[in-house]
Amino acid sequence: MVRRMRYGLPLAAVFGLTVAAAALSTAVAQERERPERIAGKPNLNGIWQALNTAHWNLEGHSAEAIESLWQLGALGAIPAGQSVVVGGTIPYKPEALAKRDENRAGWPAADPEAKCYMPGIPRATYMPYPFQIVQGEGDVILFAYEFANANRPVYMNPEDHVIAPVDLWMGWSNGRWDGDTLVIEVNSNIDQTWLDRAGNYHSSAMAVTERYTLLDENIMQYEATIDDPEVFTRPWTIRMPLYRRVEDNARLLEFNCVEFAEELLYGELMTREPIASAE
Amino acid sequence: MSRNAVAASVIAALAVLCAAAPAAAHHSFAAEFDINQPIQLSGEVIRMEFTNPHSWIYLRVTTDSGEVQEWAIEGGAPNALIRRGWNRNSLPAGTPVTVLGYRSKDGALRASGASVTLPDGSSLNVSSTGVGAPSAE
Repeated sequence: MVRRMRYGLPLAAVFGLTVAAAALSTAVAQERERPERIAGKPNLNGIWQALNTAHWNLEGHSAEAIESLWQLGALGAIPAGQSVVVGGTIPYKPEALAKRDENRAGWPAADPEAKCYMPGIPRATYMPYPFQIVQGEGDVILFAYEFANANRPVYMNPEDHVIAPVDLWMGWSNGRWDGDTLVIEVNSNIDQTWLDRAGNYHSSAMAVTERYTLLDENIMQYEATIDDPEVFTRPWTIRMPLYRRVEDNARLLEFNCVEFAEELLYGELMTREPIASAE
Repeated sequence: MSRNAVAASVIAALAVLCAAAPAAAHHSFAAEFDINQPIQLSGEVIRMEFTNPHSWIYLRVTTDSGEVQEWAIEGGAPNALIRRGWNRNSLPAGTPVTVLGYRSKDGALRASGASVTLPDGSSLNVSSTGVGAPSAE
């Protein structure tokens, strides 16, 4: 039985690739230096992670409590954060703000992240968990995210640069190099994903253009331009650094969060009766 | 053995049996739908969802008596539908269509779809595969 994620690679293939890449990068670190370039292009292989509060809210925000989690005290509070949006605020159409506010009011239950749904692009990039770039000389660069085992292949061969026939949770990623910058255009984004935990959202018309540029060996500049004429008045861009996880044992761990979401998703359907008597 | 241990081992044995029988892993057409209750529904598409394991078409149907009903039509998985020519533009909301299918056994406003006929007269096969559902072809 091969488990498949929605529109993703078979789990075994992703796990195999991830384990192989982790083993390879550890071996390389011990025996020789990481090659700076692969097939003439910058080597982006490695474990990367954002270090900001964009996953809470892309726009600037003060620290605040989560009322429904008051028993956690400060543990259940949202820290302050600066905007990662170029220009500061997200240019919503006035009539589109109502849906964002509705999303916000329904949080956390309404947030697809709470249900362990795949986060989509760009949210997957800046979730507070590592992700791995697996880059060889072939036609596909794989991005594997720790959260919910989400992953997406980036198709580097122009022959594979299509628009997917249906909308996908992680979209369809068409990649190319612009000098030393990896440019990825993501189409076919299903409208069920959010952009952060603050209810910022998009429609299925959204196209995302990402740019990954190494600033030095351990820091990458990440930019993503969101173009969704149904929700926003113009395309807008987020920008943030991504940091390499440099620990010798850096790796993705499993975050199979579906089991944590079962009560939220199916709680009302579940029987409270134990299957076997405890006598 | 204690009663706990007996119960636990029975459950473990059942679990092994279930895992070893792939046919039990997914519901069958016959378990949920009635092949002796074919139905033809004409109405307006509310929305179509391409989801696994089944896609769904939600249809607004006005009965002869004037009642407005919302039907859920179960279709094949996206991979199967795409290979038959379906895509996100196949059934925009508001499209008037005629659906041939088989009614749900529990009497709900749900059917297993076989084919969908579009306004231009062409029809698309929407049937589910691998569950014993009758094909539209």
